Amino acid sequence: MKKSFLGWNGRKRTFVLFTLALVLLGVVTLWGQLGAEKALETDFSRKDLAPCLAYPFGTDWMGRDMFLRTLTGLSMSIRIGLLAAGVSALVAVVLGTAAATLGRRVDSVITWVIDLVMGIPHILLLILISYACGRGFRGVVTGVALTHWTSLARVMRGEVLQLKEAPYIQMAEKLGTKRLAIIRKHMLPHLFPQFLVGLILMFPHAILHEASITFLGFGLSPEQPAIGVILSESMKYLAMGKWWLALFPGLLLVLTVVLFDVAGESLRRLLDPGSAHV
Amino acid sequence: MGKRGIGVLLAGLLAVALLSGCGGKQEAPAEEKPGVRQDEGPSDGQNEVQGGEESKDSVIVAMGVTSEPEAGFDPAYGWGAGEHVHEPLIQSTLTVTTADLQIGYDLATDMEVSEDGMTWTVTIRDGVRFTDQEPLTAEDVAFTYNTVKEISSVNDFTMLDRAEAVDECTVVFHMTKPYSIWPYTMAIVGIVPEHAYGPDYGQNPIGSGRYMLKQWDKGQQVILEANPDYYGEAPKMQQVTILFMEEDAAFAAAKAGQVDLAYTAASYGDQTVEGYDLLSFETVDNRGFNLPAMEPGERDGVAVGNAFTSQVEVRRAINIGLDRQEMLENVLNGHGTPAYSVCDKMPWYNPDSQVEYDREKAIEILEEAGWKAGADGIREKDGVRAAFTLLYPASDSVRQALAADTGNQLRELGIEVTIEGVGWDTAYTRAQSEPLMWGWGAHTPMELYNIYHTLDGSAEYSPYANPWVDRYMDEALAASDLEKSYELWQKAQWDGTTGITQEGDIPWIWLVNIDHLYWSRQGLKVAEQKLHPHGHGWSIVNNVDQWSWE
Repeated sequence: MKKSFLGWNGRKRTFVLFTLALVLLGVVTLWGQLGAEKALETDFSRKDLAPCLAYPFGTDWMGRDMFLRTLTGLSMSIRIGLLAAGVSALVAVVLGTAAATLGRRVDSVITWVIDLVMGIPHILLLILISYACGRGFRGVVTGVALTHWTSLARVMRGEVLQLKEAPYIQMAEKLGTKRLAIIRKHMLPHLFPQFLVGLILMFPHAILHEASITFLGFGLSPEQPAIGVILSESMKYLAMGKWWLALFPGLLLVLTVVLFDVAGESLRRLLDPGSAHV
Repeated sequence: MGKRGIGVLLAGLLAVALLSGCGGKQEAPAEEKPGVRQDEGPSDGQNEVQGGEESKDSVIVAMGVTSEPEAGFDPAYGWGAGEHVHEPLIQSTLTVTTADLQIGYDLATDMEVSEDGMTWTVTIRDGVRFTDQEPLTAEDVAFTYNTVKEISSVNDFTMLDRAEAVDECTVVFHMTKPYSIWPYTMAIVGIVPEHAYGPDYGQNPIGSGRYMLKQWDKGQQVILEANPDYYGEAPKMQQVTILFMEEDAAFAAAKAGQVDLAYTAASYGDQTVEGYDLLSFETVDNRGFNLPAMEPGERDGVAVGNAFTSQVEVRRAINIGLDRQEMLENVLNGHGTPAYSVCDKMPWYNPDSQVEYDREKAIEILEEAGWKAGADGIREKDGVRAAFTLLYPASDSVRQALAADTGNQLRELGIEVTIEGVGWDTAYTRAQSEPLMWGWGAHTPMELYNIYHTLDGSAEYSPYANPWVDRYMDEALAASDLEKSYELWQKAQWDGTTGITQEGDIPWIWLVNIDHLYWSRQGLKVAEQKLHPHGHGWSIVNNVDQWSWE
């Protein structure tokens, strides 16, 4: 085995990676929030500037600082992602557990709903819901939240079904432990890692969907600094050689998504007994 | 771990590619177009020869995708006569608008209006044939007008009672009310053949105009061919191909030398394309915003009026406090002219609409009216904050920039402007209580009427009412003489004491007229254009029959 960096073991390294990813995401979110006012500012005296020291990402046709705009856009994406993924995961846990524990009839209804939602193309449903909710921040969050819970709900249902048959649960039942107590004491600790990882891995998905729906014009309004707006506007200017409008925001979006993935993956390694000690 | 990382990165890139892929799709047809065109046969091969020796008699024009007539080439469904007016090319019209926007004749040889304005008698040219060789008679004219009155979804024909053919070449229009500007309506309605008109007419139009529809590939192109039997001067351009493309695709097509004339926007104005010149045409394609001129209230469940903009001093201050020249430079790279009314340079324009930019005066007006700056620099009066939301259509980047620049300039007057992009589904109702960045401009004074005349107590698009303005416009419509009516239209704008200009009520602020820009292949002579109306589309080919190659 190779000697590891600084003599850290795998677990420590994973932990550091996890923390680093979270800190970076936190910085982007905070920075974007603090610069939100400035990101909206238009100043025609500095329009169409290529990247320079003062404006590392350049400026667009209305003289907006693309660096701040991108950060604010990402921070908005992250917030939308957090909210949507949170709601989505909650729905998934409740429905997944209910399906597994409340009897066959409930199970078949919930499974049917899951199949129904999964059967409609994601983006279509998302556009419909967002449009119906009047677009904007609320529309996007509702749309993403209502379309992304299905796979996690399935995982949860399967997990709980399996747990129900597990010897230690059966034994607890036989010992007369109350149902709620079993769920709380024996099931939830087992489900928690699955839930957490599912939640975090839903962020990048939610963020990309927020970007795409806004890109298509069904999400946030164009003066808002949202990553989808930035990317769709930049398309027009690519032919004119204004590459910086698309490149940097695009890269940063990819980076954010990767960071979330790294965080989720590290967390899984830390919590999953199968890999926790590597 | 490493492998996994690369996988994630690839997935991320794929996602971005997918995102941009969606936007790219709409341009895809545009890329295919040259291929389609090359299959067209030998007559098109010469287009590949840039500035070839042989004299060309065909031209390829790129227009925006919204210029493609959705319902086909049927005047009843907006062809030529819809929101964006232009000459219908395939059909003839009774009258035409001339270069200075007066009225000339096409099919008509004479027209007369009765003393009370209730009947128009028009005699038409003899010996005109449709392209299927059937003669065009007064019957066809009457049929056309009765049809559009019945089914037109885009134009108002309520002033027409019925059209009647009294003999082979005389048609009489019976009106429901005097309508002096009827000749302007006659200039946009293409005459269709009664014998060949049906539900699919839009797809297979037959007319008597300068061109015939040869081919229409929906979503891609329209090919027009000169009508060999045209009664007027024979078209110089034998074939006209219209491609429908997004702005950036049109730019790319010009760069690749695939089109002879491509529409473009001011944001491309600083680019150069080898072998092409940038043509710029003045327009009445104006941009401006409404200022709801009534106190806040409610009508039919819709919020109407605005506490801040209902103050006339506020509207006056905004009108002279905006530096239109600076706005032109900022937003349009100078490709436009300042606008002071909805009808600048038209025969019915009142030059009193023009104002000088004067920021000091604007501030003075606000101060005098009691609007005092608060702690954050934004003015206030009686608890009303000097602030409003300026809406703009979300899909229009030029209007977004105009709204942003308006906001920046008004901020210096102590007025706070928030901009918000909206869809047309909500824009009309919200404009009843909040300013919206509009685009107007047409070759008829009726537009003044539509914007400023009341309809059930308030103007249609923005709350406003002035009985004098209404009266002048009613009189203008009732006038028996077109020349005289221009004067009344001008009085409706400003009669010396009241009106819609700076000294009057100023319920709309006009900012700029946007020049229509085109990349034109060197050697192509585009004939002189009349002022283009709103809509950067078919107007350019109004006189394509007179274009030529050098």
